[in-house]
This record gives sequence, C-alpha cells and structure tokens, in this order.
Amino acid sequence: MVQILSGIQSTAAALNAERTRIDVISENIANANTTRGLDGKPYQRQIVVFESALQQAVNNQTEPPTLRVARIEKDTRPPQMVYEPGHPDADAHGMVAMPNVDIHEEMADMISASRAFEANLAVVKNARAMALQALSIGKH
Amino acid sequence: MISALFNQPDYVAAKKSLDAVVLRQEAIASNIANLETPGYKRIDLAPAFRTELERACAGGNAQQIASLKPALAPDAAAVAQSRDGNTVNLESEMMQLNQNAVANTLETQLVSTMLYRLKLAITGKSS
Repeated sequence: MVQILSGIQSTAAALNAERTRIDVISENIANANTTRGLDGKPYQRQIVVFESALQQAVNNQTEPPTLRVARIEKDTRPPQMVYEPGHPDADAHGMVAMPNVDIHEEMADMISASRAFEANLAVVKNARAMALQALSIGKH
Repeated sequence: MISALFNQPDYVAAKKSLDAVVLRQEAIASNIANLETPGYKRIDLAPAFRTELERACAGGNAQQIASLKPALAPDAAAVAQSRDGNTVNLESEMMQLNQNAVANTLETQLVSTMLYRLKLAITGKSS
C-alpha cells in the first residue's frame, strides 16, 4: 500500500496502544482507594498487555509489524490489608482490604508510557519531513 | 529513446537508495512502535541489499541495479537487554531515525540535482 508518510501505520497503532495504556493507568490511580467495586470486592489493578500484529500483506510483500493491545488483564496480587476499625468495609478484626494498586508503580508506568508516546511522535515528525522532501524532488 | 535519459547507473542507484531509506523508515517506525512488546525482535534493512548495490554499482550496469529489491529482515545482531526478550533499544533507534532522515535529505537532493542537470542540458536555461 502506498503511504505518503512511511511507517505511519505502525506509529499510529502504537500511539493508540500507548494511549490505552495511559487510560488504564489513570483508572488504576483513580481507584487506588476503592474498597468496594461493582462486584462488592476491592478494586483490582489492571494491566495492559501489548502484542505485535502483522499488517495485511499486500502484493506478497512483508510489511513491518504494528502494535496492538492484546488484552487488559487483572493483577492477581492479593489486596493490601490495612488496619482501620472505623471503616465501613472493615472485617471483624478491623482490617480493610485495599486495592492492590501501588501508586509508585503506576507513576513509573505512566512516565514510561508517555515517553514511548513521545518517541512515536518523533517518528511522525521525521516521516513528515521525509514526505515534504520527497514532494520537493524536481523543484529547484 | 526517452527512457535512456533516466537509465544512467548513477540515477538508478540514487533512486534505489531512496527506496531503501523509505523502507528503513518503516522498519524503524515499527521498532519504536514495539518498544515494549514482549519478545519483539527488531527489524532492519537486510544487509544483503547494501553489498549487492555496491557490487552492481561497481559493475555499472543500470539493469542490474534496477533489478535489486530492498527487503526487511530481523536484525540478527541485536541482543535483548531486558528479560522480556525485546531487542529494541530506544536510544539507538532514535539515533538511526535521525541518521535515516539525513540519508533521506541526501538521496532526495541527489535525485533532484540529477533531474535538474538533465533539464539544464535540454533547455540550456537555469531555472
């Protein structure tokens, strides 16, 4: 397939996937203290799993793989037990099951996701400059 | 024949190199896209293309140069730096991206200049 911006399919897919990752991280941070979710249990941290995907082969030519979100999984680590007897969700011993979200982990993940996003934006910028140069062939 | 004008080995080689640069851009875009995909192996231009192009250029046969086809292949030299088996290194990838941008400028200007010279020879006017 003819693309004006070379490699834009991979880059667009990656920007999309990283955006999903940032969305999930923000959901995790927002629910860091949710002790009762829709199922009545404490919120479970969610993880985005990436996988590379092959593009549809055109003219039997191998195209470089793109990226997609394979699935969003739940972190199976146990909830953190915190002693808080006055809490409405506390058990008989005064322990409250808090979500297994570690805010430090989430922040580190978020930075890594936004850096990956930036790297892909740099590729777009480069591809654009290349396209403009290609369009100027023959102009003098 | 008019096609003889565009069949000079230099011109054909410059066009082939430009094709290779564009293909390489796709490979680098894919590598950066899969920066954090577990098990992803970085891809690059197959090293055979460069040696074949050099050999064809030394021979000076435009047909032979035109028949070359740049292709992508997994980079066998890249080693995984993390335990997930991903062989992409962001820093080196960004560097290659910028190198590729410079190579693209070079090749487009080369093609452009060759066409300009041809025009100059035909019209005798510089503009």
